[in-house]
Amino acid sequence: MKKVCSDWTKIFSQEFVNPIFWNDFELNAKAAHTEIIKVSNFEEAQMTIFNIIRSTKAKSIVAVGNEESTKIANIYNNLYNLGVQIYTDKFAIAENAPTADIGISTAEFAVGETGSVCVDCYSYESRVVGMLPPVHIVFLNCNNIVKNMTTAFKVISQGFKNGYMGFITGPSRTADIERVLSLGVHGPSRFIIIVVDVPAIGGMN
Amino acid sequence: MTNNRNIKKEIDVKLHDEVLRDALGRFVDQYSDARLKAYANVDSIEDLRDSLKEMKQETVAHIEEIADEFEASVKQKGGQFYRAKDGDAVKKYLLKICQENNVQRIVKSKSMASEEIHLNKFLIDNGLHVKETDLGEWMLSVAGQRPSHMIMPAIHLNRQQCADFFSQELQEKVPDDIDFMIHKAREVLRDEFLQADMGLTGANFGIAENGAIGLVTNEGNARLTTTLPRIHVILIGYEKLIPKIEDAAKILRLLPRNGTCQRMTSYMTMVAGPTPVIRKVNGNWIEEDRQVHVILLDNGRLKSAHDPKFKEVYQCVRCASCLNVCPIWTLVGGHVYGHIYSGGIGVILTGLLNSMEDFNKISELCIGCRKCVSICPGKINIPDLIEELRAQNVKNNGLSLPLKVVVQDILANRKIFHTLLRIASIGQKPVQTGNVIRHLPMFFAKLTNGRSLPAIADEPLRDRVSKLLKKNPPAPVKRVAFFSGCNIDFVFPKTGQSVIRVLQDLNMEVVFPEQQNCCGKPVLGMGDRETAKNIAKNNVIVFEEAVVDVILCACPTCAETWHKTYLELFADDQEWADRVRKITAKVYEFTSFVAEAYEKADRLIKTKGSKKVTYHDSCHMNRGLGIFQQPRQLLNAAVDYELVEMKNCDKCCGMAGAFGMKYSEISLPILKEKIENIKASGADTIAVACPACMMQIQGGLDQQAPEIKIKHIADIIAEHLE
Repeated sequence: MKKVCSDWTKIFSQEFVNPIFWNDFELNAKAAHTEIIKVSNFEEAQMTIFNIIRSTKAKSIVAVGNEESTKIANIYNNLYNLGVQIYTDKFAIAENAPTADIGISTAEFAVGETGSVCVDCYSYESRVVGMLPPVHIVFLNCNNIVKNMTTAFKVISQGFKNGYMGFITGPSRTADIERVLSLGVHGPSRFIIIVVDVPAIGGMN
Repeated sequence: MTNNRNIKKEIDVKLHDEVLRDALGRFVDQYSDARLKAYANVDSIEDLRDSLKEMKQETVAHIEEIADEFEASVKQKGGQFYRAKDGDAVKKYLLKICQENNVQRIVKSKSMASEEIHLNKFLIDNGLHVKETDLGEWMLSVAGQRPSHMIMPAIHLNRQQCADFFSQELQEKVPDDIDFMIHKAREVLRDEFLQADMGLTGANFGIAENGAIGLVTNEGNARLTTTLPRIHVILIGYEKLIPKIEDAAKILRLLPRNGTCQRMTSYMTMVAGPTPVIRKVNGNWIEEDRQVHVILLDNGRLKSAHDPKFKEVYQCVRCASCLNVCPIWTLVGGHVYGHIYSGGIGVILTGLLNSMEDFNKISELCIGCRKCVSICPGKINIPDLIEELRAQNVKNNGLSLPLKVVVQDILANRKIFHTLLRIASIGQKPVQTGNVIRHLPMFFAKLTNGRSLPAIADEPLRDRVSKLLKKNPPAPVKRVAFFSGCNIDFVFPKTGQSVIRVLQDLNMEVVFPEQQNCCGKPVLGMGDRETAKNIAKNNVIVFEEAVVDVILCACPTCAETWHKTYLELFADDQEWADRVRKITAKVYEFTSFVAEAYEKADRLIKTKGSKKVTYHDSCHMNRGLGIFQQPRQLLNAAVDYELVEMKNCDKCCGMAGAFGMKYSEISLPILKEKIENIKASGADTIAVACPACMMQIQGGLDQQAPEIKIKHIADIIAEHLE
């Protein structure tokens, strides 16, 4: 899958990412209506996704991230074997994303100051999984957190030559009618981050 | 379309639009606190603002090179690049792309620049299917209305009105349930996204370093617009360019917080060059690179970039917060501004990007309170730029005839001006009640609707001074010249007496140069710089001849005019600039001058009296001169008084010189709110340090709360000295 930077972790260093910004991140992300689920391993992550599928009565899923991480690929395989309709091929994603119930992708790092996650979505399929289904789940390594947008852009300036990337901070929202907050106007109404609590070992591997 | 506008009538309609007033009223009440909450986790808002301002200033200074670098970067990534000198050029180019690529359907994501050049109408007229995808913009396009706010385009509508537009567009009855409408819009617009051939977006910034553009949205419509269609066209103005990737953070730490009171919007998207798109061609899925076209729009922007004053508009990030705190915008909404951009920055952009004719209609819709300047992320001096545009306009076209008579024949001639004021003092007798005029006959009646006007005093200060100055101390520590300003001289001479008494009590000798004229601010407000220069020269000469240690003003506007404006007026005239610099070094504002003297004399001792007094911060005092502590120190130390604060103490009272008279329909509701806040504070006295505010608030109290007294701080201090 095409990415803006093939390995963002090469840019991270102690002065950029630090788990001490976790509390800031969690507070700000929740304030932006992001749901955060912390898991201690990928088995738990799989269970969590399975529970979301059941509670939302999801029938089909479009997902990326399996090429970057064998652990994520395993989860998708296991879900498929459990009878979940999950599409990971880019053309299958393009075909099914408009009707899928859940999209799954990955985040590179998070920002404490704003509760945002940075998403590298050069590929078409990584964008539609996060925009078309009503529920969007991303994996995040809890060690990869930067302090604020200033640091975030120090990281980005080293990896961003061309392509498509940005930040997601909660679900799609509008307040265009009487300034009443409504979620899910164009994109997902639920944005869920599954935080994998494993030591920084680079990306999701 | 706009040149025959009857702006007064349009304002009247908006003031009676209950839906609008209700929506704006609720919004304004919440905005300031919500904004500060969003900033609660940054070390210094000022530092962030300074870094944005510096980055933008640096950029505009090298705008051509930055634009060249941006163009090279876009092309290097494989994007097409086109520089459009105006709206027509954009339209021609865009139509060509559509024709060459068999484009039939276009989705748009909020681009004010496309509104500016009326692009939608052109595309539709040429047979294209065009849909706005921002919910607010979509509803407005259905309604045939223009946005009334850059960030909240449909804030002037309520849910019933929105439901009507939904019903009209979808040809079915849509209930006024917000959730229902949102989901309906999702369904309808989702189809538009999936079927579109072209996505057209604006940009919040364009990065020269790598040719990326950035888009900030909450709905995610920009993300879909830049993802699904096979062609992406970006319409970006020169003012959005920034040099480096890291500079984007300088915008992003301020824009969402000021714009929507969020630490970050839901989506922040950056696109550099063509990106993959997957679509079905002849029944088969294929992956290919999307066509990307970047159109860099001039339409008046480059001219501003090279103007020493107007290049400041490049510091704007279109957050619209200057609208949110504007006493006028928050009363009348955005539509009366006529063009696309509204509020303070809108007045300027209308003049620079649209036409001076349109600017003329709305050039007075700035009360000069400077509240916007205090929160603008790019620290733009919005009222100054509006005044600058007025001045350029007068320079090119002259004043209208009645104004010309007032300004050049009356205000510039002290003798005639003062004689007229004396005649007015006699002429007003039939309508005068005590110190105020409560009702005016016939078509003037609206001026006194909820506000009494001040009466011109029987005996101006200048006729009283000879007696007062006899009490000067025998061995003074300082010689002080009192610059009274017109209001104290002719409307509040008793306050002038108090000022003199306070100074004499400090063992200072007071002189009153009789040849002093108006400071010139009203003339400058109308844009007549030449007349203002004559007035300024007269005052400089008169006060040079007085040979004093200090020149004291008890009116913050006069003090500000001396300090700031006189210097600006003679920026190109070395001789006069030097003279002005020398003399203005002696000019002081009353409360800050006295507070300092009292502090030295250990007289700033906090007392607790039985009379409750609240203080109204004059805009020119607080934001113009930065003086807000000293008046409070003096009130805290005033015998018999206890200072209590009121809500929105620093919000404009609605006077602002001639504005309060000419636009009384706007001025009076602002005043009413002020009076309500004064009443709610429980104070029996309202203290001011500005005679113009005193005039306005006195008039409101007389009709709405006559039990509350208004006093200049000089009067309060002098009471104790009797």
